[in-house]
Amino acid sequence: MSRFSPLEERDGKTVVRVPFTRGLTLTSGQTALALVGLVVLFGLPFLAGLVGLSWGRLFRGLLFGMAAVGLNLLLRHTELVSFGHAAFFGGGAYAVAVMAAHLEVSEGILLLLSAVIVGTLLAAVIGYFVAGYVDIYFALLTLAFNAVIFATVFRSAFFNYNDGLAVRVGGDNPTLFGLAWTDLGYDLVLYYTTIVLMIVMLVLMWRLINSPFGRALDAIGQDRTRARFIGIPVERYVWYSFTISGLYGAFAGGVYALQRLHVQPEPTLYVFVSGEILFMAILGGFTTLVGPLIGGVLLVYLLEATRFSFYYYHAPIGIILLAIVLFMPKGIMGSLPDFFAGLRRRVADPGRLGDDVRSIRSMVRQSLTRATTTVRILVFGVK
Amino acid sequence: MTTERTDDSMAGGMDRRTILKAVGGSAIAVALAGCTELLEDEDDAIEDAEVPDEPIEAGLQTFLEGAPAVLGVQAQYGAETAVRRINDNDGIAGRQIDLDVIEEGEEALENYQQFVNDGKEVTFGPISSGNHEAMVPEINAQGVINVATDGTVTTLYEEDHPPDENTYSFRFQNHDVMEALAAAVEAVEVLGADEIDTYAGINPGYAFGFDEHDVFSAGIEQLTGAEEVYDGFPDLGTDDMSTHIEAVNSEEPDVLFSSCWGGDATLLLEQGHGAGMFDNIELMVGPVLYGSANDLSEGLVDGPIRSGSRNFYWDEPDTDRWSPAAALFEEVQDEYGVVPTAHFMSGYGAVTAWATAAEKAVRPLGRWPEQDELAEVLTGHGFHTPAGYHTMANDHQCYSNAHFGELGWSDDLDAAVIENVNVYAPEEVSPPQGEVSLEWIGGW
Amino acid sequence: MIESFAVHTLNGLWYGVILFMIASGLTIIFGVLGILNLAHGELYALGAFVVFSVVGYATGFVASPDDPVSAVIFGVVVLVAALIAATILLPVGAFIEAVFVRPIYDRDEVYQLLLTYALLLIFIDVMKFGWGTSPLDAGTYRGLNQIPTTEIVGFGYPSYNIIAMVVGVAVFAWLVWFFDRSKTGRIIRATAINRDMATAIGVSTDRTFTLVFAMGAFFAGFGGAMVSIGPQTAFLEMGLDPLVLSFVVIVVGGLGSLKGAFVGALLVGVISRWAIWLWPAVELAAPFAVMLLILLLKPEGLFGTWGEIE
Repeated sequence: MSRFSPLEERDGKTVVRVPFTRGLTLTSGQTALALVGLVVLFGLPFLAGLVGLSWGRLFRGLLFGMAAVGLNLLLRHTELVSFGHAAFFGGGAYAVAVMAAHLEVSEGILLLLSAVIVGTLLAAVIGYFVAGYVDIYFALLTLAFNAVIFATVFRSAFFNYNDGLAVRVGGDNPTLFGLAWTDLGYDLVLYYTTIVLMIVMLVLMWRLINSPFGRALDAIGQDRTRARFIGIPVERYVWYSFTISGLYGAFAGGVYALQRLHVQPEPTLYVFVSGEILFMAILGGFTTLVGPLIGGVLLVYLLEATRFSFYYYHAPIGIILLAIVLFMPKGIMGSLPDFFAGLRRRVADPGRLGDDVRSIRSMVRQSLTRATTTVRILVFGVK
Repeated sequence: MTTERTDDSMAGGMDRRTILKAVGGSAIAVALAGCTELLEDEDDAIEDAEVPDEPIEAGLQTFLEGAPAVLGVQAQYGAETAVRRINDNDGIAGRQIDLDVIEEGEEALENYQQFVNDGKEVTFGPISSGNHEAMVPEINAQGVINVATDGTVTTLYEEDHPPDENTYSFRFQNHDVMEALAAAVEAVEVLGADEIDTYAGINPGYAFGFDEHDVFSAGIEQLTGAEEVYDGFPDLGTDDMSTHIEAVNSEEPDVLFSSCWGGDATLLLEQGHGAGMFDNIELMVGPVLYGSANDLSEGLVDGPIRSGSRNFYWDEPDTDRWSPAAALFEEVQDEYGVVPTAHFMSGYGAVTAWATAAEKAVRPLGRWPEQDELAEVLTGHGFHTPAGYHTMANDHQCYSNAHFGELGWSDDLDAAVIENVNVYAPEEVSPPQGEVSLEWIGGW
Repeated sequence: MIESFAVHTLNGLWYGVILFMIASGLTIIFGVLGILNLAHGELYALGAFVVFSVVGYATGFVASPDDPVSAVIFGVVVLVAALIAATILLPVGAFIEAVFVRPIYDRDEVYQLLLTYALLLIFIDVMKFGWGTSPLDAGTYRGLNQIPTTEIVGFGYPSYNIIAMVVGVAVFAWLVWFFDRSKTGRIIRATAINRDMATAIGVSTDRTFTLVFAMGAFFAGFGGAMVSIGPQTAFLEMGLDPLVLSFVVIVVGGLGSLKGAFVGALLVGVISRWAIWLWPAVELAAPFAVMLLILLLKPEGLFGTWGEIE
């Protein structure tokens, strides 16, 4: 094989080396999936409408998913659950809004830059305080910081209370790369800029988690004391990773502000948005790199769209999430390999389907019996 | 300040020719004004107009659940009632309206986009003012007319989106300044300017509450020179207001102003009564207290409380003398089993504004109007509802009378009512076109 | 000023007791099962809705209160209704634990969050189906206030608040007794400290867990019922803010500690009411600011004893 060919032989299989990743290789199936993903991503503005989906909504889903990718750095590697990442998403969004509304900055790229700077600084400050905490204390401390920021914005005239701020200087869309665009042109340029940056950021994230620093984070997640013993500066590393994860949220929030052009506290800063970002990571598959992105698209789509189809529109979302928790034990992306493997086996041997039905039936029966026994004993005592 | 009704012809007995002339004579306009019994079969130019056969796809977003549903569901009832009346009268130039109602949530902008994607010809809502503000530029970009039921932040069309930058976004309900100023004027009417030395405010702690508080303060200080002794802003949807009530109790202001609504309004009244607050103030004025009409109990309306009812109070003009109001009240009671509040009219009026304008546009055009043509007709458009005459002014803000009266209880209805209603004409409580409200108040 | 201070403090204590009643169920479930139940707020809301129905039925049997005696009878009926409402939550809690929560005890904890969030969403629609979308008022606040309490000592203060405080303290005392003295309570604590050991000596963890979850649901529902018979209304999504405030309370107090939750709730209640009084602008932020301060100064909370309910 030539040095420059992306194809390689490894363990008797042909794998594809992904450029710029220093060693990420994909099997042929994974490559196909990744290519389909790229095509979908780049074709989204034109494809979404064809299948009856809203491009703008998918775009927002990707943005929240990007924040979840950031959060996942903490969740997956340092095993820290953050309930406060809306602070950085909203922080980024509000940085854009304040720069546009109060300082009259009208260049989108500058606005985005300020979003990243402000959101990352915010993450650095909060991260400094929370880095020493673990488990639920960490979770609720991040929540408290988030809640205080939300309350401050919500009740302050500077941020125009909950009515929020418009990202339009003199009523016009911001310029992008110094040019004024039509509405559609603006959306497209913003989208493709974002997608390119997003892919770069995903590759960087992959390199980060496969670097010695990433390994150290894994070690911290497994056992802090041991990590400390082998010389890892635990608090400092957690602080760094917290700041980096905030950067991803801030970037996503900044683009969100540029896409929606009006920033309000509830959809960006509320603590339940933090919860949603967390759930996106989990349901997409927090053991994978792109799972949170998928989770973001799915959850945002469900939260925004079910009301147009159902009168009872909360429950369908709940049922879908419930099904994912119970039947896709590693989230969507995490469970895909198992799912495909299972599918292949069943295609090869259709008889297994009968076994599946039988095992599900007996599982349901067993758990029902167990539940009834428990309740009976609780109510009537052991007889 | 006068308390006379500004539209005398609507209040008194009116012969049907006058009404027909007043409402423009068309079937839909008459039906929506609530005077169907006056209709006669007449040849109508509109019958010959070339309009599409398919129904008009319309969307309404409003709060359907949770605390703000107190207001939002009324807007839904109102819009549905107007649509029912239109469809029962053969639609607009023969076109029926198909109204889709969905929950507004925090995503009013996204909902509007979805409506447009779904091919709606017109959209109504939202309730929330912040979300409304976010929508206006999008509405103008998409070019599908939206008539806001509520979303009453004053500065919206005054400063943020002046007429030259706004083509397709309209608002039916009176804006904040009108009701907050009506509250100040009402307090002076009831107590007299000399009797008001101190005032306090308990307003919900979000944009609307801060806004209303500022306007009321400016108004009452201008009118009486009174001094503010307390301003509290409990959280929206809070479960405890006792601290604010105790603060009012210890300050004993002459007038208490509160723009609390929905559950906040009932909580304030409940806890206020529990803590004896109404013994410590001379008068409470609340522009939207009556929005909770269906959740108020006899004990709660006790005390020196006067409530606004925005641009509509169902018994003003008196249902005994004004049959459109009586018919509307009866229809709402039969259909929904509730007392209609001002938010009912938010929905009813928004649909009526658009529908009557659409019909008006079909007539000279001889075909169905384009969005921009319809928007042009809607600007400066005058129309009737059972609440009286409304004008959609050139700044796209609709102006109607503001109502204020004493909160009371009707045993017959087993519901809260407003008694001794004062009606304020728009020009008494809102600035002329092109002026900014707070500056205008300063010049009183 | 002095009287005002007293009233503000009383208001804070009352609010704190309410917070404790809401948070007690959360802390029990978290302390024993290690599950942060995000659907807790919806169980609370469910209690508020159920009590609306039960009270409406129950008060049909008693005269409306117009003198102290009938007011006391009315009060007793309403409190019994609140208990009944909470009791209805027992099987609800048991069902949720047995059917939904049990399959994921062994999984990574984050899935519990996602699962209970899914339950939260489903619960909202269950209540929407059962009681509609409009806020409901049990309409008992006035009647309860007719019971003379502070008037006896010549001081005007809503009697409902006094009753709620007494009930809240009773709930606290019972819980302390239950986990400290009763056999079942000790078994639960033993299970919380060491599941394997408890199983080895013949305790059914299945049953313990179901019981604990049912208890948690009961107290969430009772909190909702006590709130709903007061000046507040029951409405969809009423569970969201109390859920977050419950987090604050149990963290301030120290996880898994009932005493901590009680003290934490009173602290948050009183400090936040004082803060609103002295500096109204901080209202929304106050409870979280308290939590930040306490956690930054005392990272384990006031009475941290994680893994052991006490």
